[in-house]
Amino acid sequence: MDRGGLVLETSDLGYSYAPGRFAIRHLSIGLRRGEILGLLGRNGAGKTTTVRLLTTLLPPTEGTAVVLGQDLRTGGRALRAHLGVVLQSESLDFVTVERNLTLYAFLWGVPREKAKARAEEMIELFELGEARRRKPWALSGGERRRFQVARELMHDMEILFLDEPTVGLDALARRRILRYLRDRARGGLSIVFTTHILHEADTLCDRIAVLHLGRLIALDSAEELKRQHGGAREVSLTFAVPLSTELRTELTRELAARGATAVPQEPNADASGRLVFQARGAEELLPWISGWSHTRGLAVDRMSVEAATLEGAFLGMIEETDEEARDGEAGRSSPERLRGTAGGVP
Amino acid sequence: MRLPPVLRLVARNFASNLDPLTIIIRFGQPAVTIVVLGTMFSSIVSSSVTGGTSYTAFLVPGMVAFQMITGGVVSGNLFWLDRRWSMVEQIFSGPFLRSEYLGGLVLTTLLFSLVGVGVMMLVGLPFIGVPALSAVGVGGVLLTVGLGSIFFAGLLIALGTRLRSANAYFTIQSFLQLFVIFLSTVYYPVTSATPRVLGVIFYGNPLTYAANTIRDAFAGRLGSGDLVSFGVLGGLAAAAFGAAIWGFRTMDLGPIQ
Repeated sequence: MDRGGLVLETSDLGYSYAPGRFAIRHLSIGLRRGEILGLLGRNGAGKTTTVRLLTTLLPPTEGTAVVLGQDLRTGGRALRAHLGVVLQSESLDFVTVERNLTLYAFLWGVPREKAKARAEEMIELFELGEARRRKPWALSGGERRRFQVARELMHDMEILFLDEPTVGLDALARRRILRYLRDRARGGLSIVFTTHILHEADTLCDRIAVLHLGRLIALDSAEELKRQHGGAREVSLTFAVPLSTELRTELTRELAARGATAVPQEPNADASGRLVFQARGAEELLPWISGWSHTRGLAVDRMSVEAATLEGAFLGMIEETDEEARDGEAGRSSPERLRGTAGGVP
Repeated sequence: MRLPPVLRLVARNFASNLDPLTIIIRFGQPAVTIVVLGTMFSSIVSSSVTGGTSYTAFLVPGMVAFQMITGGVVSGNLFWLDRRWSMVEQIFSGPFLRSEYLGGLVLTTLLFSLVGVGVMMLVGLPFIGVPALSAVGVGGVLLTVGLGSIFFAGLLIALGTRLRSANAYFTIQSFLQLFVIFLSTVYYPVTSATPRVLGVIFYGNPLTYAANTIRDAFAGRLGSGDLVSFGVLGGLAAAAFGAAIWGFRTMDLGPIQ
């Protein structure tokens, strides 16, 4: 079923809900067995549409997709039998939590004994013990979300799609679910995961696809995205001896020539030998600073770079894309351009 | 043993959406109608108006025909609730075809209607005795209720695929139900005294054909006129079912209110 280790591969996949109006376009991504792929994007970026396309709930209007060796357009039921989907919208039956779990397993054809055992496992894992005899409308928002994820895990699957599964969950429940998903991925389950909680994507996902206005604007590991799009970060230097005015001026000028911006400091900073500035690609400046200090016989006590965050990288990517769109085509708004044409965004 | 997908869906329909109270009310209402309305009207409605039988004997086949609405409404509501609570989307993301889900709804409708027919017969027995039903008559009753159920279920499902608001769906459903029942021969016959406009409306209503055919079957006098009824019901059922299929194919699965 795999194609070079890929369980899912799309090429220029798109969905248009009206002529010329694309919810998603030119989506080319791959998913490996046991990989967790995060889908990030602002509201309306096309994450849910992507999930619905890849689970056959929506028919693609352009491009191709092969999922588990089958064409997405013709795979139908045989394909869906190997997928699990936790939808963004709440879906439930009007029976108790426990009955919901076994009923869903019954729908999927899971043998009764296996379903019972798995229901117990899921109730335990998702901390639904107290809620097991309650009907879904008597559950809290977090319990409902946990229940929905638990229900989908009642059957076996090869790819699991989770559309914002941790919305409304407390930190402990979220951590527990993410840890479980990580374990399942180690066991070979491939996961496509959408979220607005970027820290969650950073810690869980092997790779992250960033969607913006219906286009894929980046696809890489969180580390690489942070490195490439992390934006300006703060660098703090503390010299063993305070710099003379001449040296400080020289260093500031050299750093500015390398794209750094000085950060206003507290009045006694000069006396403490501390210098703070912001720079893109901050790590790459550090060797240069070491060399500069060394040639002038200066000792650097401390050198620190603010940690890059996925949130910073995400915001950077969105801004970069919007700027490119604005620069690229005059007369049309960027959203219109991005949605309506091909090749607006790499 | 793993059941076929359609049967798994039917079992789920019964297990998940039909609570005991719903079942009691759905079957209880026409049963109470037979007992109360039948008893009260029998003493004031002349048998000459009801074809030589008591009003209760006239009413029981009407209530049997009524089951096609009960079944249709149950199915329509099941679908609406599944759509409202995103279970349609959830089920479609699983190993099922849309046609299987629709087939499951139709089968649920038929089962519900047939159980309703049995309940109405049982409730009516003490009042009217054993009807003169032949094997063909039993077949005729079941076919009539079956076709009628498919018609109403198809109609409501088609409606449910288009509407996005629960208020709109339930208002239209109640309105439809009320008018279909009262503008039919379920409660009263069309006689020479019936205003012509009402008579035309009555015979534009599938429930009239169903009620008349079931009355004929109960009286052991199914004839060529009833073949026309089967034809009308069959045509309407096919049209409504076709509308439901079209609705399914073009339905937006997104969230609704």
